[in-house]
Amino acid sequence: MSIHSINGCIGCGECVKSCPTDVLRLDPHTGKAVIKYVADCQICHLCRLYCPVDAIIISAEKTIPVVVSWG
Amino acid sequence: MSDSENSRLSGRQFLELTGGVAGMAALTSMGIADGWADNKVTLDTDNLSKQDHQTDVLVIGGGMAGLFAAVKAHDAGAIVMMVSKGRLGASGQTPFAKGIFAFNPKTSKLTLDEFTNEVSRSALGTSNPVYTRQMAEHSQARVNELKEWGFFDSVLCNRPFSNPLQKRNIPVIERVMITHLIKEDGKIVGAAGFSMDNENVISFSAKSIILCTGAGGFKPNGFPINDLTHDGTVMAYKIGAKVTGKEWNDGHPGQAKNAAACFDGWHGMFERKPGITGVEIHHDLGVDMNYLAYMNGNPLEAGPPGMAASNKTVGGPYRPAGFDQPHHPPPPPGDSDRVAGRGKPPAGFEPPPGGPADGGRPPGMHGIPVGGSSAGMSIHKSEGLVPINDQCESNIPGLYAAGDALGSYMAGAIYTQIGSSLARSAVQGAIAGKAAANYVQKTPMFKISPVKLNQVKDEILAPLKRQAGFGPAWVTQTLQGIMIPNFVLYIKKESLLKAALAYIEELRDHHLPMLRAADMHELRLAHETANMIISAEMKLKASLMRKESRCSHYRLDYPEIDNENWQAWINIYRGNKGEMQLEKQRFDAWPA
Amino acid sequence: MGLNLIISAKKITIISALLIFIALPVLLFITGDSPGRTVLKDSISILTIIAFALLLQQLFLTRHVKTISQFYKLSQISNRHKVTGYIIVPFFLLHPVLIVLPRFFEAGVEPLDALITIITTFESTGVILGLIAWGLMLVLGITALFRYRLVKKLGVNYKAWRYFHGSLSILFISLASWHAIELGRHINYLMAVFIIICALTGAVMLVRHYVVNPVIHIGAK
Repeated sequence: MSIHSINGCIGCGECVKSCPTDVLRLDPHTGKAVIKYVADCQICHLCRLYCPVDAIIISAEKTIPVVVSWG
Repeated sequence: MSDSENSRLSGRQFLELTGGVAGMAALTSMGIADGWADNKVTLDTDNLSKQDHQTDVLVIGGGMAGLFAAVKAHDAGAIVMMVSKGRLGASGQTPFAKGIFAFNPKTSKLTLDEFTNEVSRSALGTSNPVYTRQMAEHSQARVNELKEWGFFDSVLCNRPFSNPLQKRNIPVIERVMITHLIKEDGKIVGAAGFSMDNENVISFSAKSIILCTGAGGFKPNGFPINDLTHDGTVMAYKIGAKVTGKEWNDGHPGQAKNAAACFDGWHGMFERKPGITGVEIHHDLGVDMNYLAYMNGNPLEAGPPGMAASNKTVGGPYRPAGFDQPHHPPPPPGDSDRVAGRGKPPAGFEPPPGGPADGGRPPGMHGIPVGGSSAGMSIHKSEGLVPINDQCESNIPGLYAAGDALGSYMAGAIYTQIGSSLARSAVQGAIAGKAAANYVQKTPMFKISPVKLNQVKDEILAPLKRQAGFGPAWVTQTLQGIMIPNFVLYIKKESLLKAALAYIEELRDHHLPMLRAADMHELRLAHETANMIISAEMKLKASLMRKESRCSHYRLDYPEIDNENWQAWINIYRGNKGEMQLEKQRFDAWPA
Repeated sequence: MGLNLIISAKKITIISALLIFIALPVLLFITGDSPGRTVLKDSISILTIIAFALLLQQLFLTRHVKTISQFYKLSQISNRHKVTGYIIVPFFLLHPVLIVLPRFFEAGVEPLDALITIITTFESTGVILGLIAWGLMLVLGITALFRYRLVKKLGVNYKAWRYFHGSLSILFISLASWHAIELGRHINYLMAVFIIICALTGAVMLVRHYVVNPVIHIGAK
């Protein structure tokens, strides 16, 4: 399911900034990153690579139907 | 924004509309709650704050082209500001490009002229030799600068890109989507957009603007360009800039299993440090595999197209002599080395711009390939603003473009030199930066009227203010369903291009004006969707007009190269009544 | 008979200590639903969790814990406390580095950049708690190492040192526990409960010993 989970987030916001498609946001209450717009995840792993505590686990599956040129 | 607004924002459950053409039935069967299209806006749209900036040169986009545009404009004496939809060095295609071409006259087997001519031969005349030559000529110098900034020592670009900008105190505004270019008295005077974080409208007064906004696609699956929706091209088109290259395609395939997973499809490439590539001219990333899939059906045999399957297949895209077979890069190591290898530079090939799928080989070497992973994107540097000279200047005074946002035809309408896309972005960024700095010296600052700014602001926020409308995610999926099929976008014929155009015109006329957004993220999606609709219209109209097959444009009904009528590029511009106009521009000429 | 009983009681003490402070946290780690990672990363995680449990155990390796001090000489207890401290404190001083260590072997943000980001995220309660706890731990470690010299130099009695060490420990453990619960990668409901129970019991016993009921001093047997 694209970005799968975030464990051990320290709330630095690196992933929010590094996500090209604006999938992640900091929760205003906990201050930690939440997977807010998962349908837009392009599964590029930049958030994981930028995370200083390597908190992000990503799965290869997209959450919405995938349109390709042939099937 | 107040705390109460924050809490409302976080507590909100967003209705995720999935669908597209295939999903419509499922959607209906799920049962749709009353008022599903109600736009429950989560913020106070009447009181969104405004923020104004002023600068000599505004660089839009924080990738490779934007980096050099900002640095060189600053070094040439201009006051520079950068604004980016994402993060510096972490959005667009730059973070995924791992090979950069450097032309070294001492070690190269070819001279500059020979290189330029050979590119032109592979590109069947579609390349612009001025820009091919310029890229090669300046590539080594740019590579040397990148070396100095630590580009080759890091898997991630943000740090090496920050180094030169911080040293020059160039402000970088991130996570701001620019939606409007502002033109007054026939020249560029500014731009405006909105921030994803601060929930405000941001405007810039600038004497000159350099679009480093990259290319775009239809948020395809398997290629990391879902943040690229031809934003720069479309906003420039709207103020009268000429746009080219929409009929071409980038033919990168993806893998059938988990087709949307860019990272997995590229088998660890994203985790590598960049490397340098030398002269190696090909005829890559065309639609050979798309043709095979069209003729033979799915599943395509894994392995190089043109091998077993092509023996049975007649016809297909023409390849010039000496480029008979697609080029195949050494297989990338499997994804098991994700943990082991700490980013050794790839030997001689380049991902996205040029990718592990170079030449049509699927990124998953063992998997079944599937088309459309970069749907909506043309060959690098073949689409974008039409340059009126070798200075990356558009037909709007003060408006420049560099990198994938400029239709420079550096490689032509087929990918000819591995690594040259990233090099081209760097070289053009530098040239545009310097040219813009010169331009601003003799240009006074124009004061944009508050009336104009308010009008732009209203247009930007319109999707937030609609009581009801169409969700951008749904419209995007519908558009994907119309455009991405192999028989529409890649293996073209008149009847289907016209059919698809009818759908796209419906989206343009009835859906684009009714896109709704509930928060800043959806506002971004709404503007991106609108841009994709315009891009789709351009692609279909240009594809209809080019009644021949050449490089990455293939027409089933016109399968031959037509040198008599089509030694020409297609330029698209907005007519007096707002209608889309198309014109030919001869291969050997600059725009009239 | 009596001797046997003591020996088996001793065994029970050791076994229950092992169970509570090593087996239980490892079990909680394994049964937790955090996704598995690489061997290196999971090893560091397990070590950190055990180390933290042993940190909590320090509260019980003191003279005031009746059951232990019944079977062990005070010197044995304090030796155990010392050795544990010598291992655990340097380990946790390295804790921020250990978090970024795997990045030396794989792609991503540079380890030093990551470390800087971690220790400068001042908007995060958990990070602030961690930074303070790290500082307190450093003070605890250094003062413990040089306690005799310190006592001599300041001219205070050893009991005063014990008060100082005890109260600083309680403050440190509280902040460190809060930090772990706030930011821990493998924290879940059960693990949080485990930490809170251990920290609270240990702290209450210590406070009771020194403040509420200072008379109950059980010497070495």
